[in-house]
Amino acid sequence: MRILLVEDDRDLGPRIARALRDEHFAVDVATNGVDAQHLGETEQYDAAVLDLGLPDIDGIGVLKAWRAAGRELPVLVLTARDGWSDKVAGFKAGADDYVLKPFRVEELVMRLRALVRRAAGHGQPRLECGPLSFDAQTGAFELDGLALKLTAFEWRVLSQLMLRRNTVIERLDLLERVYEGDADVDSNSLEVIVGRLRKKIGATMIETVRGRGYRLACGG
Amino acid sequence: MMPRWLPRSLRGRMLLVSSIATLVALAIAGAVIAGLLGRFVIEGLDRRLDAEVALLASTVDTDGRVDRARLAQRIGGFEVGRGWRWRIEGPDGAIGSNDFPRPAAGPPAPPAPPGAERPAPPLAGPQPWDGEADDGERLHARQLVIETRRGSVTLTAAAPRGVVRRPIVEALTPLLLALAGLGALLTIALLVQLRVALRPVRRLHDEVAAIRAGQLARVDEDQPDELRPLAAELNALAADNEAALATARGSAANLAHALKTPVAALALDLAGQSGPASQVARIDRTIRHHLARARTAAINRRSATPLLPAASDLADAIRRLHDGVAIAVAVPQGLAVAIDPQDLDELLGNLVDNAARHAAGRVSVSARGEGRMVHIEVADDGPGIPAADRARMTQPGTRLDQRGDGHGFGLSIVAELAALYGGALTLGEAPEGGLLVTLMLPAA
Repeated sequence: MRILLVEDDRDLGPRIARALRDEHFAVDVATNGVDAQHLGETEQYDAAVLDLGLPDIDGIGVLKAWRAAGRELPVLVLTARDGWSDKVAGFKAGADDYVLKPFRVEELVMRLRALVRRAAGHGQPRLECGPLSFDAQTGAFELDGLALKLTAFEWRVLSQLMLRRNTVIERLDLLERVYEGDADVDSNSLEVIVGRLRKKIGATMIETVRGRGYRLACGG
Repeated sequence: MMPRWLPRSLRGRMLLVSSIATLVALAIAGAVIAGLLGRFVIEGLDRRLDAEVALLASTVDTDGRVDRARLAQRIGGFEVGRGWRWRIEGPDGAIGSNDFPRPAAGPPAPPAPPGAERPAPPLAGPQPWDGEADDGERLHARQLVIETRRGSVTLTAAAPRGVVRRPIVEALTPLLLALAGLGALLTIALLVQLRVALRPVRRLHDEVAAIRAGQLARVDEDQPDELRPLAAELNALAADNEAALATARGSAANLAHALKTPVAALALDLAGQSGPASQVARIDRTIRHHLARARTAAINRRSATPLLPAASDLADAIRRLHDGVAIAVAVPQGLAVAIDPQDLDELLGNLVDNAARHAAGRVSVSARGEGRMVHIEVADDGPGIPAADRARMTQPGTRLDQRGDGHGFGLSIVAELAALYGGALTLGEAPEGGLLVTLMLPAA
């Protein structure tokens, strides 16, 4: 899962980014409205965390620009503006959730996961796929009822496949949602990650669709 | 600084000045009228005395001799009472009333009023003459000197001065009464005029009071010329005041952002350490409380905010914040409250958010007009609050809900804000068993 974090505060931004990466998210950080608007319109994100008080374009303006450009990514507004009028304005501009500063990281992560899950069309937090199960609330995978240990990259790939199980995910789409914007992407690295995952959950579940991408098959 | 001797009210001052002016004017008018009256009376008397003098003259022949028989026949009506005298003084000696006064200069006749100077009577006619009789009675007389071949003959007809004073005194009583009546009439007219003239001042006062109460934005500048600059200044002052309030609100919001972001960074650093984390939570609560207080200090009672759009927007927002809670809004179209839109959002947002946080799955928001108030009911199907705790919930600083995630302030801030607008908050039990909050707000 790749998140766009828009936060202009030099102390808070890196701390949130670190906390999200600890939870396996890939995080791109924008520190102003112009960058945020550009990234949101051109890159693929599973969700955005958006501060409202930005130095150039206000967060609400960024959000409206995204929506006007047809970007449907779930947006969590993270702000110090605690007035209900601000919240209403945020939701009217197209926000999906609203978290006030200061906040607990656990809550932010939980809400982000819920946003991504709902955006993928899942009402319930627990997803099943054959012997594999995924708690979208805690981010934990289980295989045959036993906890599955995954690296950050493995988690990003498997959670994408799980959220869109039984459908083919384009290779490029998957790459974009696994690597941060400034990462050096080795063309073979995705294959390496998928190979490691197949060793952990069984070789047959992740299908390679030649020329297109990957599919998580849940079977009968 | 106001001079001490002046009355403190404008009304009193105007009354004082114009009363003095009225009194002076009435006194002058009285004196002038009395003087004129005296002159008319004296002129009448003079005509009578002149006629007598003419009669006396007709008894004197060209040699200065008096025709006594004719005189006796004609003077029948002369001595009608005490002080009515006559005298002929000629070459043959003096005849006439016994006690005719010694020729002495008496007080002059009342002066002619200024501007009404008549040409002096020709020396040929009778001249005024005032004197005093032996018994001290003052006399007014007319005297004519005619030349005969044997010398000059002086003819004098006198009347007591009292006959002049009596008609004046008699006329003065109704005159003074009339003047008093006139004075009273002028005073009443003055009071009416003051009332009419000062009405715009009173109206301006009422309008300024309405501004202070938040019912008016500005005073009417359609004022009398003297008050128009004052009204314009008052409006400028009100506008400055409003701008200052807006600045205060803006500063509060800026302070929020400025403080909360570092507090958020601190909170992330301290995550997992319960002691420092609780201190951070306390800092956050304190900031939040005082910001809410700052917001409520800038209340604006002039607004007319439609209830339904505000409630619908808030319900949309809160549905997203509380996944799985159904929020039903039943508010009649057209219902509006006299609450600033942002404050209404705060009031309703806190109540509905609070309800959604405690609800098992359903929250309902309904409203109805009740006289000059609008009753808004927010009910949930959660566990509710025991009757014993309900009163305490609306006390400032109380928060029974310690597991909340920091959204909103609970009911105490709502109660405080509602009270500032002249509204109220009551807690009860919902039909579904949860908490029923009734918020009463002034209707717009």
